[in-house]
Amino acid sequence: MLIEIDKLRLRLGGAVILHDVRLSLGEGEIYGLLGPNGAGKSTTIAAALGLLAPDAGTVRVFGRDPRQEARTVHARLGALPEHGGFYDWMTGERYLGFFAALYGRRFSPSELRDRLARVDLVPRVGQTIGSYSRGMRQRLGLARALLVDPPLLILDEPTSGLDPRGRRDVHDILLGLAERGVGILLSTHLLDDVDRLCHRIGIIVEGRTVAEGNVADLLWVEGHDRRYRLRLAGEPPPAEVGHVAIVDRDGDWWTVDIDPAWPADATWRDLIAGGWRIAEIHREGGGLENLYLALTAGGTAA
Amino acid sequence: MSPILLIAGKETGELLLDLRGLAWLLAMTAVLSGFALLLVGDTELSLLDNAQVVYDMVGIVTAVGALLALVVGLDTIAGERERGSLVPLLLTPVARDGILLGKLGGVAVAWVVMYGLAVPYLWAVGSTGQNLAAGLLTLALLGTPVVLGFGFFGMGLGARLPMARTGLLIGLIALLLAASPLVLGPSLRQSAIGRAFDAVNPFSAAVNAYDAVIIDSQAITAQAANLVVTLVWLALALWFARAGVRRVARTSPCG
Repeated sequence: MLIEIDKLRLRLGGAVILHDVRLSLGEGEIYGLLGPNGAGKSTTIAAALGLLAPDAGTVRVFGRDPRQEARTVHARLGALPEHGGFYDWMTGERYLGFFAALYGRRFSPSELRDRLARVDLVPRVGQTIGSYSRGMRQRLGLARALLVDPPLLILDEPTSGLDPRGRRDVHDILLGLAERGVGILLSTHLLDDVDRLCHRIGIIVEGRTVAEGNVADLLWVEGHDRRYRLRLAGEPPPAEVGHVAIVDRDGDWWTVDIDPAWPADATWRDLIAGGWRIAEIHREGGGLENLYLALTAGGTAA
Repeated sequence: MSPILLIAGKETGELLLDLRGLAWLLAMTAVLSGFALLLVGDTELSLLDNAQVVYDMVGIVTAVGALLALVVGLDTIAGERERGSLVPLLLTPVARDGILLGKLGGVAVAWVVMYGLAVPYLWAVGSTGQNLAAGLLTLALLGTPVVLGFGFFGMGLGARLPMARTGLLIGLIALLLAASPLVLGPSLRQSAIGRAFDAVNPFSAAVNAYDAVIIDSQAITAQAANLVVTLVWLALALWFARAGVRRVARTSPCG
């Protein structure tokens, strides 16, 4: 495991911010950390980075304590903290060169430009960071995180401030990295990021992990992947199929919820056998959004 | 290149290439210009002799240098934290002590720059007498630990306090208290409280040494006691900064 966090409890300024957080991230995996504002996502990330000491529980990165063995851990991870700042008087190349040197690496000017180009950042010659747009700064931060080709990336809101094309570019970069075995922990508010990128997610509410696991499994277990729209050729037969509930009708289109305990394909077979003349099946959008809203409503553990 | 030198170089860039650093240097130079103008005028009116003018200017350079060092020291930790650029630095595989030393180097460079800027002003007020060399020497020997101590004190404050502005206000109060001998004058310093204050105040130690060497023409080697007071201050401030930087972390909860 690249990251293992279990029963993490952490106080800041006398207030308990994290009560019970758990997560685990393996190689080649993209893990999305979700939760409302103030839930404790960034604090969890700070603990994983070794910036904050837990009061209880365990935090292991590469199997090591990130506070006790900070230099060893930091040498092998790339991070993009929330609200990361830059040295406005430097050029992008100089900035990357400075950080590369702190990692004991030396890059030629062309290699530095190549590193910037990898994140689609092509500043004007001599352009200082002070004149970068927010999106350019975000890309520069990502270039810094990727500077030493780390096996682990910890990214806090990596697509924040990017336009749709920029977000898609970052998605492609992260998916490519995961294919090469890089583990990525990312905190985000954007469910589109999660939908496109994440193999597993953890949802934190008021400092507690209320759900963790594979996105499809969570949707299944929590029953938020179970609403479908069916186009029927004719009325459905009056006999009820026990694990299907009709929610709405709009002409030929019928909205149904199916029982989470039943596999979808078995349900369609049962309906067809029961006389339903199904012409089309569409899964209702927003499954992940519904799951997120349900789990974060009221702050109670699911 | 060593990470310490890299970070010190970065801090130098913040001072000499960033608008914020240059603005502070401009402000300090303007203060020196104002005082130099007053002192040159007093000399020409024969209100002050050359030794007294050099003594005053050296004291002012020390106070202005300490103010600049305090600001730079605060900015290297608290300022960077508020701008969000400290965390990426802390996440490099550089030891906290390496980061500390690099940032201390940045404070030292600020004092070297300030000293360099002060030389023309000292020359302007002291070139007509025999006290310029003594002034420059005592400033280098006794002013340096006082000034660097305030820079390190600023770093320690910046590491402990959640806001740079709070650290600046506390640092300014400490600086004004310490530099009060420059304002209060010699008579108050003869009282018991004044003598006790002098015995522990690094600023007083430096000013007493300036007085002895520049005005009374004593040997600089006779200022060992004053030098010890300033070095103790420097050591305490260094300890304060080191302890702060080692435990520096974000102090506000976040999402």
